[in-house]
Amino acid sequence: MTDEIGINQLKRRDFLRAGLVFGAGAAGLAAGYAAVPDAFARAVYAAKQEGITNDNVLVMIQLAGGNDGLRTLVPLADPVLHDLRPKLAGSMVSQALPLNKGYGLNHNLPGIKSLWDKGKVAIVQGVGYPNPTFSHFESIRIWETGDPTRRQLDGWLGRTLAQAYDSNGHPLTGCACGATDVPGALRDLQATMTVIENQKTFGFTGGSEVEAAVGALYKGTPGIYGALFDTAIATATETVATLRTSSAGYQPMADYTDNVQLVYSSKNQLAAALQLAAELIVTGTGVKLLHVTLGGFDTHYTELSRHDDLMVYLDSAVSAFYKDLAAHGKAEKVLIATWSEFGRRPKENASGGTDHGAAAPLLLIGDPAKGGLYGDEPSLTALDGTGNLKYAVDFRSVYQEILSGHLGADSKGILGASFDSLRFLRSPAGAA
Amino acid sequence: MAASPPTRKGITRRQALSAAVAAGVGVGAARLLTGALQNLNRTATVVASSSSGGDWVSPLGSESARVMHLLRRTTLGYTPAQLDSALSDGFGRTVDRLIETHPVEPPALPEASTPGGRFPVGQLQQWWIDHMLATPTPFAERMTLFWHGHFTSDYRKAGDNTFMYWQNLTWRRMGMTDLRSMLMRATTDPAMLRYLDLATSVASNPNENYSRELMELFSMGPGNYSEEDVRQGALALTGWQPPRPDSFETVTVGVKTRRLPVYDSQKSGVFNPRRGYAGQVTFLGQTGRLDTEGVVDRILAQPATAPFIASRVAQQFINGSPPASLTASLGDAFRRSRYDMRTLMKALFTSEDFKAANSYRSLVKSPTEFMVHTARALGDAHLSKLIATSGAGMGQILFDPPDVGGWPNNESWISSNTVVERVNFVTSALAQSAGNLPSAAYAATHHLDGVVGAQTAALFNQATDEKTRWFIALASPEFQLK
Repeated sequence: MTDEIGINQLKRRDFLRAGLVFGAGAAGLAAGYAAVPDAFARAVYAAKQEGITNDNVLVMIQLAGGNDGLRTLVPLADPVLHDLRPKLAGSMVSQALPLNKGYGLNHNLPGIKSLWDKGKVAIVQGVGYPNPTFSHFESIRIWETGDPTRRQLDGWLGRTLAQAYDSNGHPLTGCACGATDVPGALRDLQATMTVIENQKTFGFTGGSEVEAAVGALYKGTPGIYGALFDTAIATATETVATLRTSSAGYQPMADYTDNVQLVYSSKNQLAAALQLAAELIVTGTGVKLLHVTLGGFDTHYTELSRHDDLMVYLDSAVSAFYKDLAAHGKAEKVLIATWSEFGRRPKENASGGTDHGAAAPLLLIGDPAKGGLYGDEPSLTALDGTGNLKYAVDFRSVYQEILSGHLGADSKGILGASFDSLRFLRSPAGAA
Repeated sequence: MAASPPTRKGITRRQALSAAVAAGVGVGAARLLTGALQNLNRTATVVASSSSGGDWVSPLGSESARVMHLLRRTTLGYTPAQLDSALSDGFGRTVDRLIETHPVEPPALPEASTPGGRFPVGQLQQWWIDHMLATPTPFAERMTLFWHGHFTSDYRKAGDNTFMYWQNLTWRRMGMTDLRSMLMRATTDPAMLRYLDLATSVASNPNENYSRELMELFSMGPGNYSEEDVRQGALALTGWQPPRPDSFETVTVGVKTRRLPVYDSQKSGVFNPRRGYAGQVTFLGQTGRLDTEGVVDRILAQPATAPFIASRVAQQFINGSPPASLTASLGDAFRRSRYDMRTLMKALFTSEDFKAANSYRSLVKSPTEFMVHTARALGDAHLSKLIATSGAGMGQILFDPPDVGGWPNNESWISSNTVVERVNFVTSALAQSAGNLPSAAYAATHHLDGVVGAQTAALFNQATDEKTRWFIALASPEFQLK
C-alpha cells in the first residue's frame, strides 16, 4: 500500500526527464478546449434556474458487503437475540450505548452517539424492499437504481443530477470520493460525474501542456465509448483546476485518520475520502451529491472483530467529518446517509459470522436530521421464510425525503412514484 | 438545454451526451470527419472515423486487421515479432495456435515458501506481470486474467499470499480445460476456501457464501436457482479445509510470536468427512446424498449453465452486450462438447460476430491489458514494476478485485480518475523507456490499425518528435480500445 506514494513521486520525477514536445499546432487544437472552464463555471449557478432553491449537500456512505443491522442498532432486551446468536449477542448487547430502553448503538460508535445526544442522528429501522434478493449485486443495483423491479438502469442520484442539476454539465455537482469508478447510484448517461480517488495525486503528470494536449486529443471521439471518454477527460481537467484553487483555501479543522487496524483490511480510505468531500463543500465548489464507500461488511466469518473494526473506522471518520464541517460553518447544509445492500441473517453461522440478510437500519446524520428512531422495530420472532427480518419501511421512502425534503428536488419525477412519507428532517424543504 | 425525456436507447443517449459535451466545450459535433484520408506523418495512411453515427470505420474486412484485432483481445497486445508471426500464419491458424498451445509456466516464485505466505503482494503482482511480458504463450495469461476475474479471490481475505500464488498457477493450468474440472478445482482451491468461507462451513451450521456464488457468479447466473437450493447446496458442500502444512515455523511479528504454516509444494483443499454433511439434500430438483462432485454435476445438468458461461466469455471477447442468439449457439457448442473450453473459445473467435464491424473497438482494454500492451509496443520488458503499481488508480489491482464479482468491464473502466491515470502511465512509461523507441509511425499503422479520429491524426502529425508521437498514440482513445 505504501507503493502508491512512491509511484507518484516517480511519475513527477520521470516527467521532468520525459520532455514531451507538442508541436505548435497542439496549442491551436487546444485553444477551443481552453474555453472549457468558463462553460462549466456558468453551470454552477444553473441549478437555481432549474428550480433548485437550496444549497444543501448530500453525502452517501455505502457500507458495502451488507452491514449487520442488528449489530449497528442493537436490540437490548430481546432474549431471542441470544438464542439466534449465541456467540455474537452477548458482548454486543452488554456493551451497546443505550439510546432508549429497547435499543442501543454499537459500542464502537461513541462519536455518532454523541451526535445522537445532540439530536442530530435519525435512525430508520427495518428498511428494505419487497421480495428481497440475497445477491450482493442484484441488491446493490436495486438500492442504486431505486427500482426493485430491476428495469431502471440509471442510478437514483444520477437521475437527480441529470434532471435537477446537470443540464449544463458542471462536473463537480456529483462526485465520488476515494473511488476509481463511478458508483452505480450516481451513474446516468445524461449526467457528468467526477471521480477522484486521491486528491493528492489527482492531475496530469507534466502539467498544463500535457493537460491541453490530452484535452485536444479527446474531442469528438468516435464510437460507443467516445462521449464517455471525452466527458471523463473534460471533467478531469475542470476538476484539476478546481482542486488547485480549493486546496489552497482549505484547512482541515479535524483529525482525519485512515491509520486504523482492520482485521480483514478495507482498501477504502474512508477518512481521506470524507476529508476531500469536506474540502469540496467548504470551498464552495458547487458540489451537491457526494458518494464514498467503506467496504468489508460481508462478515460471513469472524464477525466479532471485523465488524468492530469497521464500526470504529466509520465512527472516527464520520466524527471528524462532522467536526470539520461544523468548524467551517457548513454543518447545517450537509446530510450524511449510510446505505448497505442488505442486513445480515439474525441467526449466526458456524464461522462466527452471519449470512446475507434483508431489512436493516439506515443512519441519517447531521444538522438537517431530526434525531430519533423511525420506522418499525423488526421482530426477531416473526422472521420471513428465509429466516430474515421483514422490512417495515421501503428504502425509497428514505430517498423521497432526502430528495424532496433535503435537496428540494422533484422526488416523484426521479423515483417514478410516491412513497409513504417519513419525516426525519428538521425543516424539510417541502414544508417551508 | 432541457433534460431529455427519460427513455432509454443506449447508443442514442450516448450520442445525445456526446453532442451536449461537444457543444459544452465549444466544438460542434461536426468535428467528426467524413471518411477522409489523411496523411499521417507521411508514412501512415489514416482513415478517420465516419460521421455517420460517429462509429469507427471497421477495417476488419482485411485479414491483417482481423489478426491485429484477434491479438489485441487474446494476448494482452503484441510486439512486432509476435504480430509478424501471426500475420504470416493468418487468422485461422493463429486461432488454432492460441487454443492448442499448452501454457508455458511462469518461473517458480521463491517467496512461496515464506511461512504463512507473508510476503508482500507486490512481489506476486510483479512476478505475474513479468511473466505476462515474457511469456511465449500470452493467450494463457489472458485466460488466467479472465478466470482471476471470474473465479475471483482477493489476497486480503485469503490471508496467505502463497495460496494466491497457487491459485494463479491453477487458473493457468486449468484455463482451457473443461468446466467440470474447473468448478472442482475452484471449489477446492485453498485461497477460494478462505475467500468464500467454505473452509469454515460445517454440517452443523453451513455457511452459504460459497454455495450462492458458485451458482450466481461461477456457473448459472441469478434467477436459475432458489434460496432453498443455496441452503441445500451449502449443506452438501460442507467439509472442506485448507491443506495441512508440511511444517510450521515460529516467527516473531512485532511483540507477538506466531506459529506459521510452511508448504513445500502446491496443494489443494482436503475433505474432512467429520465436518461434512452425509445426509440427503434436495438440490436443483433432485433428492439424494450429494458430495461436491455431485453438486457440480447437478449444476452442469442445468440448461442455464452453458449459455451463462458463454455470455461471460462473449462479454469479455466480443462486446459488452453480445446478442442472445450468439450466446445460445456458443452455449450449445459448449454443452455438446461436454463443456470443453477449447471448443467454446474456437467457436467464439471464428464466429461472424467476432469480426463484425460493430465488434471493432467495442471493448475497453482493462488496465492490465492497456499497460502490458504499452510495454510490448515500446519493446520494453522493464516496466513490470511501474505496471504493478499503476493499476490501482485505473481501477485494477491484481489479486485484489473490488468484490466477489471480479472486475466490471468497459464503461466501468472510464472515469475522470482512470483516464488521467492512463495518461500518466504513458508519460511514466515513455520516461522510463530507455533510449531507442521503435517507430511511432509503425504504432499508428500496427497498433492503431491506421484507423484514427481527426484529433488523434492532427496531434500526431503536428508532434515534432518521436517521443511525443508515441505519447499521442498510446494516450489516444484508440489505444484504450480493443
